[in-house]
Amino acid sequence: MKKLLAILLAMTMVMALVACGGNNDNANPSPQDPPETEDQTPEAPAEPAASGELTLWTYPIGDWGKEEKVKAITDAFTADTGISVKVEYLAYADGDDKVNSAITANAAPDLIMEGPERLVTNWGDKGYLVDLSDMFDDTDKSEINAAAMTACTHPNGEVYEYPLVVTAHCMAINLNAFKEAGADQYLDLENHTWTTENFIKAVDALYAHYNAPVGAVYCKGQGGDQGTRALVNNLYGGTFATASHDKYTWDDPKNIQALEQLKGMPGITFDASLEGGDEIKVFYQGILKMAFCWNIAQQLNPNQADTGAGLTANGEEIVFMGFPSENGTPALQGGIWGFGIFNNGDSAKVENAKTFIKWMCDSEHTAEAVKTANYFAARSAAEGTDLTGIWTDNEIMNEYQVLMPYLGDYYQVTKGWAGARTEWWTMLQKVGEGADIAETVATYAGNANAG
Amino acid sequence: MARPSKPTMSRALQRRENISGYLFMLPSLFFFIGFVVFPMIICIITSLTDANMHDPGMFGNFIGFSNFARLVKDVDFLEALKNTFIIVIVSVPTVCAFSLWVSSAIYKLSGPVLSAFRCIFYLPVVTGSVAVTVVWKWMYDNYTGIFNHVLKGAGLIEQNINWLGDSKYALWCIILILFTTSVGQPIVLYVSALGNVDQTLIEAAEVDGANSFQIFWQVKWAQMMPTTLYILVITTINSFQCFALIQLLTKGGAGTNTVMYDIYWTAFKLTEQAGHFGYANAMGVVLAIFIGLLSALQFKLAKEK
Repeated sequence: MKKLLAILLAMTMVMALVACGGNNDNANPSPQDPPETEDQTPEAPAEPAASGELTLWTYPIGDWGKEEKVKAITDAFTADTGISVKVEYLAYADGDDKVNSAITANAAPDLIMEGPERLVTNWGDKGYLVDLSDMFDDTDKSEINAAAMTACTHPNGEVYEYPLVVTAHCMAINLNAFKEAGADQYLDLENHTWTTENFIKAVDALYAHYNAPVGAVYCKGQGGDQGTRALVNNLYGGTFATASHDKYTWDDPKNIQALEQLKGMPGITFDASLEGGDEIKVFYQGILKMAFCWNIAQQLNPNQADTGAGLTANGEEIVFMGFPSENGTPALQGGIWGFGIFNNGDSAKVENAKTFIKWMCDSEHTAEAVKTANYFAARSAAEGTDLTGIWTDNEIMNEYQVLMPYLGDYYQVTKGWAGARTEWWTMLQKVGEGADIAETVATYAGNANAG
Repeated sequence: MARPSKPTMSRALQRRENISGYLFMLPSLFFFIGFVVFPMIICIITSLTDANMHDPGMFGNFIGFSNFARLVKDVDFLEALKNTFIIVIVSVPTVCAFSLWVSSAIYKLSGPVLSAFRCIFYLPVVTGSVAVTVVWKWMYDNYTGIFNHVLKGAGLIEQNINWLGDSKYALWCIILILFTTSVGQPIVLYVSALGNVDQTLIEAAEVDGANSFQIFWQVKWAQMMPTTLYILVITTINSFQCFALIQLLTKGGAGTNTVMYDIYWTAFKLTEQAGHFGYANAMGVVLAIFIGLLSALQFKLAKEK
């Protein structure tokens, strides 16, 4: 009996060993291997594959983070092409970790949806992504927003992201609170802009009324850091990086002046317990009277209390605003999102992935793909379909377009971007703790440039 | 008189039983070697290399002790090491002292009451760390947290304290949570150990005129030393490896970076330095050395006692 048991045990172990052993027949070579894609002429995509499966990992880019919405459009794609799409939904909190781990394990997805700061500056730069430049002909280049096209193109000339949507990041204010404090007089509600002088007056009026901080320079992590960067840059016209995107310039005196101004305002707190998402929640709760992490997705999304778009949990009115600047003309941080293809060494999958991108970003289905994101199309037309008027039926989207002309430089493609973000929020924490501002800014901007 | 020799059959039976025993151990051994010993060896080897996620090959290039030399000058790592030691130095003695005190107070209680206390103190241990942390996060919240609400209501503070966002408080807040989640197991162990103290020794000490303190220190404490040693070692290791609380509450900001979090950041976060497994593993080796040294010291002291 014991002998039998021992034999059974030994067999179980052997089976376990086999089960746990890696499959050496894995067809995925390392990302460093040269791509096996065939040359493809512009505007002549590969014949739709009869079958095949793609994996798409998407960050929560508008409703591209919601399964029911994404499933509808990917099902339509599958019905059209025969290529099935398996979608995994990433969160910004740990999405990068998952992708990095997948790359390390040679298990990267076929497609990924995000912005140039990840696709071009990071994964593309390191050679993990397929060059998409053969997907753009002259018509495409004339239709696609020039700034978006530039941002999606690596300095080496290769294109690692096919842009689908763009938007302008902005801030928001609680209009009811502003009215109660008599601070609404400082807002240009028609153009959704205000000056630095009026911003300071408004914050002071709100603080005098509520006797508590009304805005938070959140700096727990990098989440939503575009808001704090835009706030600091706009107040006195500072810049974050050079126009050629080869150096970080946030140590310029105008940014130091802005940080000193913010630090000296009792109505503004430097809060290392909040990230962008946390700030939005506190703003929704009506505690903070302004949010620096905002865009059209937030303006459209009903909050958790289901009080309706553009309303706080208490039903107070939220108004989106440009960041305050000296002359009232902000330079807003842009958001550009699209698709990249990981080079997993399977040319058939790369072709299928290009078919997917073409279907989503440059076809009669593009309007639907853009609407799923709740942002604006990155191009004026797609294969003859006009995309400029796809939001005419949506009042909020239409109104939001007033901010689009204020789109500023897309500096997120500056070399060392991921590291620079860490330096930025760490710097804000130090400033919040009372460190010497000029010295701290110089140190962390130096670190960003050294990285 | 010659001792009767053991029958040969018995030895053979013993051997067969030994073999069966080892076979039963093998599945555990397989997992222990595969998921503990082997990764440890890989960790030590890669700590001497420049292994990273961007270059092909698992082990990178051998670079000797360069990673360790770099660690000595790494300001972030040194700060993380300092914070880790603060957590250990504060957490371990307080957990031991508090659990001993609570156990002494409750171990003579009647069965159901004792069980109730054990449940209460053990509850944070069995509750998922994420759930516990979320509740604490609500309580610490800068804007809506109960601590600020109570302190403000009592007139003790004028403006809210940013518990998790201010470096004056954040690390201590984390130590407090770690404390509440760490005392459960020591209390249960101490209650058990106190219940097993030999009563005849206590009675003998009483007859000899020993007072309560002397009975505790000379009789009970001495008999509980193996339990104390186990608690010290486990609490030390847990404190050194504090990660989830940091990740969920502060992400290493506001002066709460620890070595474990630094390892995670270096290995996996999306920065240009990400995926530097060799360097991250060097941090892990340093941490393991400190844990080993402290545990050895605790064993030595306990043995002397």
